[in-house]
Amino acid sequence: MTTTSLIILGLFLLAFVGFVVYDIVTAKKRKEVYRVKSTATAYLMLLPAVILAFLFILLPILYSLGYAFTDYYLLLPDDIGFVFLDNFAEIFQEISAKGMLYNAIKNTFTFVIGVVPLQIGMALLLALFVNRNNVGSKIFKVCFFAPVVISLSVTSFLWEQILAPGEGGLLNSLLGMFGVAPHDWLRDPNTAMPCIIVLSAWQGCGYQMLIFLSGLSNIRKDLYEAAALDGANWWHRFWNVTWVGLRSTFVYVLITVFIGACRIMTQPMLMTGYMSHTVTLSYYMYNTGYTERLVGESSAVALLMTIFIGGVTLLQRRLFREK
Amino acid sequence: MKKLLATLVSLLLVATMLLGVVACTPGGPDETDPEGNTIVKIMFHVDKSSTEGQAYQKRISAFNAAYKDKQIKAQAIFKARSAGASGYETELQNNQLEGTLADIITFDAPNTAAYASSGLLYDISSLISAEDQAKFYSLNKYNGKLYGLPIQESSAGFFYNKKIFRDAGIDVGGFTAENPWNLQQFRDVCARLKQFGVTAVDMRLDATKDETAPYLLYPFIYATGGSFVSEDGLTATGYYNSAETAQGFQFIKDLITEGYTSYSIGSTDFFTGKVGMYLSSGWTIPDLDNKYREYFASRDDWGLLPYPKGTVAASATGSWSYAITNNHHKDKTAALELLKWMTSAESSQAITNATGMIPARRDAVGNYAVGSPEYTLMKQLELSGKERPVTIAYPTFSTTFNQVIYGLGNGDVNTLLNSATNTLQDAIDKIKDR
Repeated sequence: MTTTSLIILGLFLLAFVGFVVYDIVTAKKRKEVYRVKSTATAYLMLLPAVILAFLFILLPILYSLGYAFTDYYLLLPDDIGFVFLDNFAEIFQEISAKGMLYNAIKNTFTFVIGVVPLQIGMALLLALFVNRNNVGSKIFKVCFFAPVVISLSVTSFLWEQILAPGEGGLLNSLLGMFGVAPHDWLRDPNTAMPCIIVLSAWQGCGYQMLIFLSGLSNIRKDLYEAAALDGANWWHRFWNVTWVGLRSTFVYVLITVFIGACRIMTQPMLMTGYMSHTVTLSYYMYNTGYTERLVGESSAVALLMTIFIGGVTLLQRRLFREK
Repeated sequence: MKKLLATLVSLLLVATMLLGVVACTPGGPDETDPEGNTIVKIMFHVDKSSTEGQAYQKRISAFNAAYKDKQIKAQAIFKARSAGASGYETELQNNQLEGTLADIITFDAPNTAAYASSGLLYDISSLISAEDQAKFYSLNKYNGKLYGLPIQESSAGFFYNKKIFRDAGIDVGGFTAENPWNLQQFRDVCARLKQFGVTAVDMRLDATKDETAPYLLYPFIYATGGSFVSEDGLTATGYYNSAETAQGFQFIKDLITEGYTSYSIGSTDFFTGKVGMYLSSGWTIPDLDNKYREYFASRDDWGLLPYPKGTVAASATGSWSYAITNNHHKDKTAALELLKWMTSAESSQAITNATGMIPARRDAVGNYAVGSPEYTLMKQLELSGKERPVTIAYPTFSTTFNQVIYGLGNGDVNTLLNSATNTLQDAIDKIKDR
């Protein structure tokens, strides 16, 4: 495999050099002012980043793409056979049979639908709150950002304790003070995913809050003054000044949160295990590829998921394109 | 000058990275060191600084001292497992992929079939004499061939709070490993504990994220005459969803329905006197001996009961094992010497002294007092120990078992088992075809 990787890397570097030569030659043809020395230096400066991106992004994608059409079993790395579209047929069969993959798609969809608006909404509200420069806003900023720096494993464990079943769970004991009977939040299919959505939004919104804050700092103050002179109320100022100013920031946040949400795995893995009501696409891929060792099938799911996420991301960019 | 410097830095970076890539190519361990010693590498699944890791290291050092004249030198590699055993598993699979497998590895017993069928393990059937094989409580066999020898043994049982039992007027003194209680007697005791006002038993129904629940609960299915796969491990249909298997799971479900156990028992509830019995393995003994002294001041306050018997007696068994790998070293002589050393009575005793588990060899078992928890576990292992299903798709079995246990609270046993059977059969078929 390493030899194959080196061959692919060699071909990639050849293509890169070819591109550089082509760029230089066509530039001369275009009669542009072009200094070979500067250009070569620029490309050389670029090369480390290009190689890293190739090794850790492009190469795994290429391998995954290739494995999707094979029967690669993790314990037999030297015996990989080409199975054409068998893995995809298997996938569609499992979806139609409403098996685990069907549940994974359904749960991932539920999670994305729930967490994207919640996390972005929370991030925006927190950003607007912190941006008002009230007393202690810096402390709030730190508090709201704190969950981002805690690892997902730790937050999952923490929330598992909060949501623990029986009277020992923190949430249950709190609700018990108001006479509410203890509930098994993570075992109940109706409450497990909402709980994971809430914890994920709580954990992630601090980061998006910072991005919104930087977006807010770019909106000119005189726009608000002008709006106030025109008699605009709070809502009008928000909708016509803040929201318009934040539009490009919002698109960035929307795309990154959406991609992150599609990849959810740690929380269900640590909080419930591989169960039908919380399994997600990434968790399904991990389980199929590593636990069950069926890399070919797992890669086929990964390929379809990449196409889906890429497609939706492009759609989002198109829908929110600046006119 | 600046541009020249930038160019040089860029070239240096590129060269470093390419060197890094080349350095990652499989080279494999050297056969001999400069002193001419044959190097044998052994990979362990624990952290070097752990008590168990230190015990392994001591045995390796002792081996190196003993085999100095024979010029064999063992090198230990420690890769602590994480997230269940999957971290270690991934490491093993990566090593196989890169061609850097150690000469001897440790592995969890249920993986024998998958590892053996894929050619990862070396067949040692002819290298270990029948006499030596008979010294072990269990062996790692697949398709009649021997692929590994256990490091230590484990068994489980029902730890019980003697004070609660005394106060509730329950006498279980007659239930021993030689004369286990039956399922009905187990249920009766649960009923009396419930009547007394405590949660009867923690069946560890919440431990479904890893191997804990399958390991502790599978004997109930064997006890009712059930099974999971055919003898060759290739058929789940008709076994996993048989009436006898359903009966075993139904027994567990009934315990939930009747309020004897639940999914919401806190992890320390037994240790703080809120639960009458606790299903666990030998690793709980040090906890009860040393922690929770407020509730369990001495061994007079707690005891260990065997698994209840159904149509047959069955108890949990199986732990981690050693195996020689099919790596690039064709000559397995040195690896075999190390394997024999690590599985000797002396090593077995040394490792179990550190872990508190039962030695893998009959001739290494200490003189446990009759009726002591250790004696119960050891005797139970001898009399009713039954290994987990041997199948090439064991990880899928484990996952589906957890899903069935998870679903028992609200689901129908037969529906859950049919779904589990289909999933397992599907996985077996896929791997079998490889």
